[in-house]
Amino acid sequence: MVMIVCAVVLIVVNIIILSVNSSRYSSYGSGRIAIFFIAPFQETVAQSVQFLKNIWGHYFFLVSVAKENDNLKKAINHAIDKNNKYREIEISNFRLRNLLNFRKTMTNRVLVAKVIGQDPSPWFKTIIIDKGKSDGIEKGLPVVVPEGIAGQVIDISYNYSKVLLIIDQNSAVDVLVQRTRDRGLVKGQSDGRCLANYVLRKHDIKVGDTVISSGLDGVFPKGLRVGYISEIVKRNSGIFQEVTVTPYIDFEKLEEVLVILDPPKHDFVSEQ
Amino acid sequence: MTYCFYICVCLCLVIFQTTIIPHISLFNNFYDLLVPFIIYLGLFRPARESILFILVLGFLMDNLSGAPFGLYVTTYFWLFIIAKLVIRYLHVRNNILLLFIIAAGVLMENIIFIAGVSMSNPDSQFPAITIRTVIFQILWAGCTGFFFLIFFNHVHKKLEKWFNELIAEKANIMK
Repeated sequence: MVMIVCAVVLIVVNIIILSVNSSRYSSYGSGRIAIFFIAPFQETVAQSVQFLKNIWGHYFFLVSVAKENDNLKKAINHAIDKNNKYREIEISNFRLRNLLNFRKTMTNRVLVAKVIGQDPSPWFKTIIIDKGKSDGIEKGLPVVVPEGIAGQVIDISYNYSKVLLIIDQNSAVDVLVQRTRDRGLVKGQSDGRCLANYVLRKHDIKVGDTVISSGLDGVFPKGLRVGYISEIVKRNSGIFQEVTVTPYIDFEKLEEVLVILDPPKHDFVSEQ
Repeated sequence: MTYCFYICVCLCLVIFQTTIIPHISLFNNFYDLLVPFIIYLGLFRPARESILFILVLGFLMDNLSGAPFGLYVTTYFWLFIIAKLVIRYLHVRNNILLLFIIAAGVLMENIIFIAGVSMSNPDSQFPAITIRTVIFQILWAGCTGFFFLIFFNHVHKKLEKWFNELIAEKANIMK
């Protein structure tokens, strides 16, 4: 009975002390001593734990990080590759739209062909296109791009054709100066430009004038751009002037071309 | 085996030079990659083995190029003949001399081409850029042609050795 009473009293006293202490903080100086002795050990252990954690995190755990890094690198490469492809598609789209718009303006039947190879020698200017006899291409058909005349088909196989560019020395196009309607014959030169032959001295042509096809050669339709006059030399003697024509087309960057399938045909024999 | 090697090398060189090189601006004035190969055949291989192949190769290039027909056949044939004469009389298997022989071959090809163009177009003009092109080609040939020669020779020897071993092995199995 006494034991029970003592226990009850102890609990009550304990509750009273706790309720009094909980209303205000007091350590009576013993906390400082405890911290003084315990904290250094705590610090050492905590640092050791942190050290171990760091080792785990920065070295052992790095195996998975390295794998993740590899995967991320792969993903980046893949993304770059994809981005490049999209960029290439965008550029190609722009180019083809341009070609399509040009095609719409043409009254002739045309066929789009891709350039697949260039002449192995820098002395001759030909390209190989991916359309041939099976696509309706014939020898002598004119080849054009939106910027102007590119060349003429000189050789065909079943699926491929060879095109002689207008900058080749064996190529010739009958032309007109657009502004003055003066005639000449544009021939290719080895430096990638052309020379307009048989332009009379008396003709008033100027640097910058546009040169177009006359249609009189029986190959190229009339009115297609060939280039612009970049240089005129008038010698003291002679009835012709030396006219250099720079083509509008950048032949180094030719990727797609249009082959005109039904060029104007002149029946010279019957006309005579 | 030898002809297979020739065909593979030539296909690779022709495709590389007609589709890849034109897209690399650094190689705008690069020389004809078949010249080192022709000279290799002339210097290191017997005539009866190579002559037919050279003519076929020239014919193929004539068809691919816009050059007057027969120009490549002529060029390759004479390159081969001159290489044969050089090896007979000058004994140029010296590595340093090999550097020059490719450059000389490229120069010779260009001279034949210029002559060919002049013949087909008597009124054609050759501006300063032509000389620059020739000079660049010769320099490129001088710098890189030797390595092509060494490469062709090395690969061909390895392939021949491998093929002979394969035949010997098969002969032993048959016995």
